Amino acid sequence: MKSDKRRIGFLLFCLAPATILFLVFMILPTLNVFRMSLFERGAYSPTETFVGMSNFVTLFGDVKFITAMQNTVLLIVTVTIITFAFALVFAGILTREKIRGQNFFRIVFYIPNILSIVVIAGIFSAIYKPDSTGMLNSIASFLSGKTVEILWKDQPMVIVSIIIAMVWQAIGYYMVMYMASMSAVSESLYESASLDGAGRLTQFFQITIPLIWTNIRTTLTFFIISTINMAFLFVKAMIAPGMADVGLSFMYNQKDAGLYGYSMAAGVVMFIFSFALAGLVNLVTKRDVQEV
Amino acid sequence: MEGKKMKKGSYGDVLYKAFIYVALVTLAITVIVPVGWAFLASLKENAQFYGNPWQLPNGLHWENFVNAWNAADMGSYMVNSVLVTTMALIMLLVFALPCAYAISRFKFKGRNFLQTAFMAGLFINVNYIVVPIFLMLKDGDVWLKKTFGSPFLLNNLFILALVYAATALPFTVYILSGYFASLPHDYEEAAYIDGAGYFTAMVRIIFPMAKPSIITIILFNFLSFWNEYIISMTLMSSAGGSKTLPVGLLNLMQSAQSQTDFGRMYAGLVIVMLPTIILYMCVQKQLTEGMTVGGLKG
Amino acid sequence: MKKISRRSFLMAAGISAAALGLTACGADSQSASGAEAKDGISVAALSSAYVEKNPAMWDEICEAFTEQTGIAVSKLTLEKNLEDVIGASMQGGDYPDVVCLSVGRPAGLTEQFVKDKLIADITDVLSMTIPGEEETVGKKIAGGFTDNSITNPYGDGKTYLAPMFYGPCGLFYNAGLLEEKGWKLPTTWDEMWELGEQAQAEGIYLFTYPTAGYFDTFLYALMYTVGGPEFFDKATHYEEGIWDTDEAKLCFEIIDKLASYTNPKTPSQANNQDFKMNQQMVLDNQAIFMPNGTWIAGEMKDSPRAEGFKWGMTALPTVKAGEAPYSYTWFEQTWIPKDAANVDAAKQFVAFLYSDAACAIFAKAGAIQPVLGISELVEDEYSKEFYAIYDNGAKAAMGNFAPYKSTAGLGTVSEVFLEPINALVSKNLTRDQWVADIKAASDKMRENLL
Repeated sequence: MKSDKRRIGFLLFCLAPATILFLVFMILPTLNVFRMSLFERGAYSPTETFVGMSNFVTLFGDVKFITAMQNTVLLIVTVTIITFAFALVFAGILTREKIRGQNFFRIVFYIPNILSIVVIAGIFSAIYKPDSTGMLNSIASFLSGKTVEILWKDQPMVIVSIIIAMVWQAIGYYMVMYMASMSAVSESLYESASLDGAGRLTQFFQITIPLIWTNIRTTLTFFIISTINMAFLFVKAMIAPGMADVGLSFMYNQKDAGLYGYSMAAGVVMFIFSFALAGLVNLVTKRDVQEV
Repeated sequence: MEGKKMKKGSYGDVLYKAFIYVALVTLAITVIVPVGWAFLASLKENAQFYGNPWQLPNGLHWENFVNAWNAADMGSYMVNSVLVTTMALIMLLVFALPCAYAISRFKFKGRNFLQTAFMAGLFINVNYIVVPIFLMLKDGDVWLKKTFGSPFLLNNLFILALVYAATALPFTVYILSGYFASLPHDYEEAAYIDGAGYFTAMVRIIFPMAKPSIITIILFNFLSFWNEYIISMTLMSSAGGSKTLPVGLLNLMQSAQSQTDFGRMYAGLVIVMLPTIILYMCVQKQLTEGMTVGGLKG
Repeated sequence: MKKISRRSFLMAAGISAAALGLTACGADSQSASGAEAKDGISVAALSSAYVEKNPAMWDEICEAFTEQTGIAVSKLTLEKNLEDVIGASMQGGDYPDVVCLSVGRPAGLTEQFVKDKLIADITDVLSMTIPGEEETVGKKIAGGFTDNSITNPYGDGKTYLAPMFYGPCGLFYNAGLLEEKGWKLPTTWDEMWELGEQAQAEGIYLFTYPTAGYFDTFLYALMYTVGGPEFFDKATHYEEGIWDTDEAKLCFEIIDKLASYTNPKTPSQANNQDFKMNQQMVLDNQAIFMPNGTWIAGEMKDSPRAEGFKWGMTALPTVKAGEAPYSYTWFEQTWIPKDAANVDAAKQFVAFLYSDAACAIFAKAGAIQPVLGISELVEDEYSKEFYAIYDNGAKAAMGNFAPYKSTAGLGTVSEVFLEPINALVSKNLTRDQWVADIKAASDKMRENLL
């Protein structure tokens, strides 16, 4: 065996750079979110004043923040349910059924996920135009036979518009992922179920879902954290300021106003909120795991 | 249909199949049409954007691309994006590969702690911490300016790439170490016996074996670096300074007081998404297969 | 800290019609010899929309300046968030020699410097000869621009801030449409509402706006219209009870009524992505008026338009017939920190900003200097017409909401006053609720005045 010194040297060489970067650009800023929420600092001077919990007190009385949190919760719930329902069902279909062009569908459904949110915002700007030159309205007009002018990006439709765009973006990714885990489910299970007279739906709910449940749970946790983030990216790129803010966009706006402490107080709430939610989901979805 | 056994080719079966195809085709259309529309739109004349959205371009207006590339500076943004993405990917590999290797194949004090720390990093979404990162670099710049006379950290493509690489570490280390852990230890043992050092064994023996995983993480991280706009917008805020493609596109879409030209805007949009689409078409198999390991994308 | 009492920004100094647009400038001759700066001067400028139009604008200015005077510009700082960049270093005693940054910015850096009397007196610049020309600076700057309370903040007859790029704002409309329909351009709000009804009958909405943010200049001019400079001054300093006065009520009533005449599609497009489609509604005769700036003709140059379309620009209608209407003029400012290293050379630079050469460089990016004869540099036909709005008897409204210390839970001026207008139009907010929110915020703004 090699000498200890060389081993330690090698380990340091391997671990030190990544660890330092990780510390400086992830751990330190995260700690700073919590620390700075207790301070107020001038817009263009680095002096910080300790203000205790006062940022939080103001935050919970700020109608704008409360609305932003309501929007965040609404988006998480609806986007998660719609995306997962569609992704699971379509993944189930594509793995279980003999579909012509299966590969084609898989490739196509994944495309939205490789696009920048800025690109998606640009495309949806054409989809959501309020008159008949908007794609959605022109289709609706064509189908209904009369002129439809839905104001997609205005209250109250604006939140629906964000939901549609977010589901559109996320669905393919999760579908492809579930296809991967579903194809690992042994074919013999379905065959014997089939012999027992179980139909497609029964098979889906009794075999497919329980067997990939672990995978669903993990992805659900990450999906929630990612949705909080995605909602911010979509709102920032697509929606008029103040029209439908979400938690993180509220935080970012406060940063733009130079209210760093206040912004970070919102950041702390978002952190705690997302962890609590992830924990809650983890708890609620706990099942006895069936092994494949 | 529930519970009832159905014979192949029965009436209900055909109906079910038809329903499935309709559903699949509908979903495929909702993806293809908007994306394809953007491609067509990039060839339209400005005046066409005010009418029926389903009109085909009244000629191939390639000058939109020339305009976007030159007048709207998408050309230089493209160079910036290529630079940042390349630098970030190289740094990421240089830092993450040895780290993942050491974590997964060596026993040392604090290993579990380090592993847990990187795992915890998976839960920290970078947009939660973009403000403190910005302030840290800003304070650093003030200090550098006082001490050395010139700021360095903000509006710097290299630093942007470094931040990208650093924030992608948890995901990358997680995936790579998962792969490294699955390899038997015999490989290194044999190399050591042949007189290879730790470093040689790692670089010559193990890394080449991890090629599929490395390709997967390059693909995923390429997409996230290329498409990212919040960090880029925050850390590269100087007006005259360099911008990456998505931020340049955002400016192009939102620029007030400058001349309205939708053709140019959609040409810019295509310039941003084309590289990712081409890459995806070439490697879609690796990408979607890599998802079995990459299931935790932020 | 003692609060400095604030005088009105500008006592309604109408810019004299003759002052604008006439008189050519002197030809350039001898080179001005002035103070030499050893290592050259440093210039810090806000990177605004003009810079986006011509990124090299300030570089060209600096080059031309050096060529003319032999004084080098050693450093040019050009930032969108200029306060962030130079603010901290100035606290450390490191001052740029020339700062091109206006009052009315959210960070209020310039106000801070005015308040702390850290700005150099540049009254003598007005009597300096413009480098390369024969005219003095004071004679070349148009009337009203160097004797208002923004440029002369202490009311002692001394000028501290040099007026820069300016532009009239007002309501823009399709003059061709009014002609064709035989509708008279409304001069009072009552006539405005009448036109609203008439147009509504033909399926045309009276009003639209690009984004709610474009209401800022509209609101300023409206405050002048209902209550003159006195009301404007009180309102922009959030005086106690000001929003309960008759003038304020009239202001809210007009905006609320205008909201009911606004094309309902407007809010759904009033975001940074789609605002151009709101502007397009004016070109398509889907709405008659919108608040905007002189750049609009160029911005929509290539967009399709209704037959017979012709841009028109008007000042705001008045409350009573026969009153002089107001059109808001914004202008920017440049100043020299009192403790800058090269004050004398910096003054040369400021003087040079009014030279024909500099004006031409600025004009290329659409930045119009407030100097006599500038209209010759305004190439575009429409802009020429727009810049002549004060010829038609409109009074210039100038000034801004007073900046206040940004405070947790207290929104920006735009968030409090302007953005809710979207919800007002889509009827998701009542006027009473809007006014109540403004009153609550206004109280906090007053407490935090800088």
